[in-house]
Amino acid sequence: MTDITLTVNGEEKTASVPPETTLLKMLREDLNYTGAKLGCDVGDCGACTVLVDGIAVNACLMLAGQAEGKNIETIEGLSTLEEYHPIQKAFEDVASLQCGFCGPGMIMSTKALIDQGEELTRDDIKDALSGNLCRCTGYTKIIEGVIDAYEEITGKKVPETNPRAA
Amino acid sequence: MKHRGKGIGCMWYPIGFTVLANPSAATVKINEDGTATLLTGTVETGQGSLTVLGQIAAEALGVSTDDVHVVSGDTDTTPMDTGAIASRTTYVSGNAIKLAAENARQILFEVAAPMLDVRPDQLEAVDRKIQVKYFPQRCLPIADVALQAQFVMGRPPIGSASYNPPTVGMDPETGQGKPFSTYVYATQCAEIEVDDETGEVEVIYMSAAHDCGTAINPMLVEGQIEGGISMGIGYALQEEMLFDDDGKQINPNLTNYIMPTSLDMPKIDVDIVENFDPTGPFGAKGVGEPTAVPTAAAICNAIHDAVGVRITSLPATAEKVLKAIKELRDGGEQKALPAAE
Ligand code: FES
Ligand code: FES
Repeated sequence: MTDITLTVNGEEKTASVPPETTLLKMLREDLNYTGAKLGCDVGDCGACTVLVDGIAVNACLMLAGQAEGKNIETIEGLSTLEEYHPIQKAFEDVASLQCGFCGPGMIMSTKALIDQGEELTRDDIKDALSGNLCRCTGYTKIIEGVIDAYEEITGKKVPETNPRAA
Repeated sequence: MKHRGKGIGCMWYPIGFTVLANPSAATVKINEDGTATLLTGTVETGQGSLTVLGQIAAEALGVSTDDVHVVSGDTDTTPMDTGAIASRTTYVSGNAIKLAAENARQILFEVAAPMLDVRPDQLEAVDRKIQVKYFPQRCLPIADVALQAQFVMGRPPIGSASYNPPTVGMDPETGQGKPFSTYVYATQCAEIEVDDETGEVEVIYMSAAHDCGTAINPMLVEGQIEGGISMGIGYALQEEMLFDDDGKQINPNLTNYIMPTSLDMPKIDVDIVENFDPTGPFGAKGVGEPTAVPTAAAICNAIHDAVGVRITSLPATAEKVLKAIKELRDGGEQKALPAAE
């Protein structure tokens, strides 16, 4: 067993897990953060996305031991009982999600992207979400939600583009 | 070099099969505070059906959607439902819910009629009130009527109903019958780019015009159409289950079963072509599965428009398209195919 101490959504947590345990498994099964989803367990789907020191990571591909001392953010850290995080609010307003299984991962990838503080284009957004699979929505309303959240949080505008212009 | 092409795909799709029993049932209870509880067996899978069904109940009862508490998918407490399948929920479950709500509303009308000195058939339920038709100032809050019904008249305002699309058997001689209650129609257009050196197809733009009867919740209809298009694009260009000789799938994972990502999605314009279907709840039909039907056809037609090759087996992977382009250049079989125009 390995003893691991890390910060999850601002709270210090410790767990004692077998060394082969992934960060995802530890979060879900030992620390009871079940927001990050187990989709494929091999890094294909992005349902398990969490932020490790601000960077979006597939928690199924990271060993729990590698997260020692790190600062983890999960979907549970975003909203409070009183209000949604602006990304969640934007996703709700435009009905970004359908079944919602991809949602926690999509939202955490979005947070990592917006937190970088860079100017974003629609292509940057599509790029940043390309590791998060969604079977339901065709991504269209998710991208709309990300744009709305970005504009709300940063006060900047995503430039209009016309992909049909040859 | 990259070639642009455009293509069209059209479809019709049946809603509410009638060849087998296809029932849905519902119970609607109007509470003494003017809210309502809806029991339905159907299951929400993210498409927003419970929102739509709540809207249908609310419209029939003259209350707000927020006033309707939907309880679903629990066989201990809700009526059995044929299923969240066959694009039938809005149409079949919706019809059952509308009928159940109307039955509950009828009790309110009968209780309110003597209070308002009119006959029950002179009443309507609008804006959380029971009011006299054409005389909206003569009205009572639904909450008051529900309270009166429950505690004074002893007639709790509860309605139950079921709906089973009318069945028309097949004529054994002619094979004719009426296998479905109603139909929806759609056209999608694809604008794509084909790289003639790699065979890779990129979808640049899709427009989708869908008839779904009355669009009870247009935002959810859009969500269905956009999702359907992504499935259609996967079907057209990427997704393929591969089996070995023993019939075992050799790509049972997302590493080798390739589905569209955000990068594969084009700009989409959705056009909801509303029309009122007299057999549907408030004129609604359905939209789920039909959204994925015409996409691959539109894309394959666009490939033909762009580089002159007909892809007749899906998915139209880069390998297949490149092979067809080479055959066309070598004057092979593809050339003999008649052009679509
Ligand atoms: S569960 Fe981690 S990427 Fe799918
Ligand atoms: S909403 Fe169902 S997978 Fe994205």
